[in-house]
Amino acid sequence: METSAKKRLLVAWVVVVAITVIYLWIDRSADDRRVLVGSVAVTVAAIGLALVKFRIILREFMDVRHAPRALCVLTDLLVVVIAVALLSAYFVGRAVT
Amino acid sequence: MTAIEDVSTEAGVDVVGHVPGEGDMWFFVVFESLVFTSYFCVYLYYRAQHEHAFLKAQSALNLPLGIVETILLLTSSWAIARCVQEVRAARYRSAQRFVLATVGLGVAFLGCKLAEWVRLIGEGHTFTSSEFMQHFFFLTGMHAIHLLIGFVVLGVILYQLAPQRRSHQTIETCSTYWHTVDLFWVLIFALLYIVR
Repeated sequence: METSAKKRLLVAWVVVVAITVIYLWIDRSADDRRVLVGSVAVTVAAIGLALVKFRIILREFMDVRHAPRALCVLTDLLVVVIAVALLSAYFVGRAVT
Repeated sequence: MTAIEDVSTEAGVDVVGHVPGEGDMWFFVVFESLVFTSYFCVYLYYRAQHEHAFLKAQSALNLPLGIVETILLLTSSWAIARCVQEVRAARYRSAQRFVLATVGLGVAFLGCKLAEWVRLIGEGHTFTSSEFMQHFFFLTGMHAIHLLIGFVVLGVILYQLAPQRRSHQTIETCSTYWHTVDLFWVLIFALLYIVR
């Protein structure tokens, strides 16, 4: 049990680091000869991947997966609220330009 | 500690039905997340409106350094989570080593951030040079203040690891704060360095 808990934490760390490195690939593929180019897809992917990491940190590092159901639901709700708020602000900003 | 059911085979590594740390700290996590989210919304709204100006200023940032900073902070989060596991298993000396590793990783993160600020200011990018840089220095500055408070919190963990104290709940509360600093950075990094 103890070894599996340690291993699970290590796997969580590997996943969040891997997602961070994926950003480098997204960045390189999105731009035109090192000139930054606007992209809705990159913006949505960046926010989406950040929230995946956000949830992994909550569930695995902060041990929410072992917490009472109310805290699990509250933190999941927080992730959803942040996602909706960020994407809404971005798309509303684009729409009213 | 409000453990309802202990499912570990050795000295309580996994605890089910247990709020990690004090409830008040979770109120802080949710409240601070919403405060930061409000600011992120303002940033994204103006960013979408002035895309070219933001992209031009954003190109001054060093993405590989940002990735190194993120990995340092994620690793510090892993280290403090391991510290909590060791505390639950009553291995306090090992827990102490994980706290010291967390301090070292936090200091390395702050060193990278300071180096980035110095380079940007040296190139003429300051708080008033562009709207993007205003957001950049404000967000990374606010995060750095949270990180500095985090060092005090790590000091509290070290204090609590002394033989005559050892309050598991206080240690879990303090580790929750440190993870929160990491949570905010994950979003700040994506919004400042990656978003296009």
